[in-house]
Amino acid sequence: MPCWRARSAAVAVAVACVLSLVAAPVRAQEPVHDMGAMNERGASTSVSLGAQAVALVTSARPAIAGGALTEGYLTQPAIMGSARLFGGRASIVGTLMLEGVTLRRGELNTGMYGEGFVDRRHPHTYVHELVGTLYGSAGAARGSLSFGRGYVPFGTDDPMMRPFVSFPVNHHLSQVLERLVAAGALRLSRVTLEAGTFNGDEPIGPGSPPNVRRFGDSWAVRATVNPRAHADLSASYADVASPEDRAGNGLRQKKYNLAARYHDGDMTGDRRYALLEWSMSDEYNRGSRAFRFTSVLGEGEMRRHGVAVALRIESTVRPEEERLLDLYRVIFPTADVQLQGRTRFSIASVALKRELPALGPLGAEPFLEVSAIAPAAVDRPAVFVPRDFYGASRIWNLSAGVRLAVGAMHQRMGRYGVAREGGH
Amino acid sequence: MTQRRSFTALAALALVAACSDGNGNVKPKAISSLSTLGLGAVTERFTAEVNVYGNYAYTTTWGNRASVRGNAVKIWDISGTVPLLVDSLIVTGATTLGDVQAVGDPKILVVATEVAGGSIVIYDLTTPAHPTLITRYSSANTTNGVHTAEVQRVNGVLYGFLCIDPSGGAPARLTIVDLTTPSAPREVFSQPMGNPYVHDTYVRDGILFTALWKDGMKIWDIGGGGKGGSPSSPVAIGAARTVGGEVHNIYWYHDASNGSKQFAFVGEEGQGTIGSAASGDVHVVDVSNMAAPREVAFYHVAGAGTHNFSVDETNGVLYAAFYNGGVRALNVRGDLGTCAASAKAADGRCDLTKMGRELAQGLQSGAPVYVWGVQRVGSFVYASDMLNGLWKLRVQ
Repeated sequence: MPCWRARSAAVAVAVACVLSLVAAPVRAQEPVHDMGAMNERGASTSVSLGAQAVALVTSARPAIAGGALTEGYLTQPAIMGSARLFGGRASIVGTLMLEGVTLRRGELNTGMYGEGFVDRRHPHTYVHELVGTLYGSAGAARGSLSFGRGYVPFGTDDPMMRPFVSFPVNHHLSQVLERLVAAGALRLSRVTLEAGTFNGDEPIGPGSPPNVRRFGDSWAVRATVNPRAHADLSASYADVASPEDRAGNGLRQKKYNLAARYHDGDMTGDRRYALLEWSMSDEYNRGSRAFRFTSVLGEGEMRRHGVAVALRIESTVRPEEERLLDLYRVIFPTADVQLQGRTRFSIASVALKRELPALGPLGAEPFLEVSAIAPAAVDRPAVFVPRDFYGASRIWNLSAGVRLAVGAMHQRMGRYGVAREGGH
Repeated sequence: MTQRRSFTALAALALVAACSDGNGNVKPKAISSLSTLGLGAVTERFTAEVNVYGNYAYTTTWGNRASVRGNAVKIWDISGTVPLLVDSLIVTGATTLGDVQAVGDPKILVVATEVAGGSIVIYDLTTPAHPTLITRYSSANTTNGVHTAEVQRVNGVLYGFLCIDPSGGAPARLTIVDLTTPSAPREVFSQPMGNPYVHDTYVRDGILFTALWKDGMKIWDIGGGGKGGSPSSPVAIGAARTVGGEVHNIYWYHDASNGSKQFAFVGEEGQGTIGSAASGDVHVVDVSNMAAPREVAFYHVAGAGTHNFSVDETNGVLYAAFYNGGVRALNVRGDLGTCAASAKAADGRCDLTKMGRELAQGLQSGAPVYVWGVQRVGSFVYASDMLNGLWKLRVQ
């Protein structure tokens, strides 16, 4: 039996354990809540719904070969919903993402890569997440079993739910998403354990469904501790089969993430937020390590009386792959075992935001983000020489826009069931 | 007179004995070094394949260097010590020109283009220093990108064997075109193959070898195998999976000293970081029974990986491009599958290095190189180096 199958079997056993917990008689009627529906506590059935979009102008200086590029678009247009059912014994979380309509060429974002895009963020899939969860409890332990398309139990929250509109370079090192996932979570006191199995392949476009035939070829585990209110420490590991080649011929990734997070308040009121994370992704070819990518990221936000200041510092190593005629695209999917090199992106970003008075149900928050980006080749001699390609050794990204939101938005994105509680 | 004949016979026997390794294998002409003569520098693009035609060499270009695309064919006068650039061809809409081959009859130059809009571009070589465009051929069965294009005659007819990239959900495929009329190539065969790539082909004596990456090497009758195959209807004869897979290129060796056609050389392209690191061995496959070929030997260079080959069949020397390992010359004369126990790897294959078959190394003493292709012509080896351009080396 291949090693990964043995591990997937172990994950399946863990999931089964959680399932048995879920199937056990529910001792108390107190429902286990999805944090996305916390404001509905007490009701037997409730639904929350919200929508958001960010109107954005971004300028990269330089973009390529010394030339500046400025673009505008509607990014992160999303409809988010959650429903709490059967007195809290079940829930559904969903996010419909419309970037496939508004962001087909990708969002200018120097350093960002993945799913065939480079120096642009790729559009996410329309069905960003749609996950159903069953809850149960036994004694002090509470458990949940989730299934659907969404995030695997690995890494940190999706950047979309964090202070900056522009994504960090480490998105593909620190989150694994849009997979068909079955995950169990067990929460006891301040400790939460999660395990899940899923299909390793990344989406190949906004309308791309998961490759169902590959369900179960990858797995992930995450442990989270809440040492005090509003804080969580997490460690996670994911074994992802051939994410970049849908047929399964690509390199295998073994991913690691350690994170410390603090967040008081909520997404819209006064709050303090901080995240420090370390991520590493090793790529394996026929059992031997071929490439290693690492990332350290720290970010924080202080929000008072509708004004917020955020800071993010990141150092992330990304792969360089063969670019196409469109220099923002690379060959994808790919089973290639060669890279053009690795580049470390050292980035410091600052954001200023100001919440405007609500117009009825519509909230609006103008913002300004500035990033100073210093890319440097890791491997030498380097085929991809950042200074030659970009035309400068220091790059500036400036973004200005307004985030529009209506209704109830998810508070976190990347966890399901009882793992969504605590430390928010 | 009798004494003279006896002396001549003794001298011949002594010469044979001196050139034998004790197992009856004839040693190749001695090669002590591959010395560097000169460099035709290319700095604005990455250099890819090389092909020599008379006093001219043609090199292709690959990927993007800074933001300059690999859409040029460089034409070199190689009559002197240092390759001299005499002209360039630009192929629009291409990011990589991975393969090039000059043909003497008719006088044409065939260039493969990648990625999207994959095609072959055919030039008239009547004036070798300044080829002129004849046509550019593409079809639904080439459009995902032509990675390599091997041009060979089969039963008198000129064909192009095109390895097509996989793209999106479309698998890799082999497409064969009839080039009898270079201005009007005609597709005669196209079929998905390779896992996930069909990376290269080798055609000789009506036998087609395909490099199928994880699926290894496959041998087809296309007119010379006695199985009723043809270029429009290849018939599979046999297949072999070499250790490690990632079968990239193949050369079927005909030993000029004894007519042996026992061995094929397989290049493995392993993981690597272009420009700085590579991996992958040369594998020796015994194809004396083409229905059941089997790997018998290998050549490994720690920290480097092989790419394309050129074989001096008269002297029994394989020249292998070895990316960051420069150029390696190997003695391939005689029985490569028989060796002392001390020269065997744990899996029973013979290790050519332990057999003492490495003859020389080239391009290992100067600035970093990343050698894509080699071609031996006379006493010279031409090496295309992705980082630096076209090297000319002398075989000594």
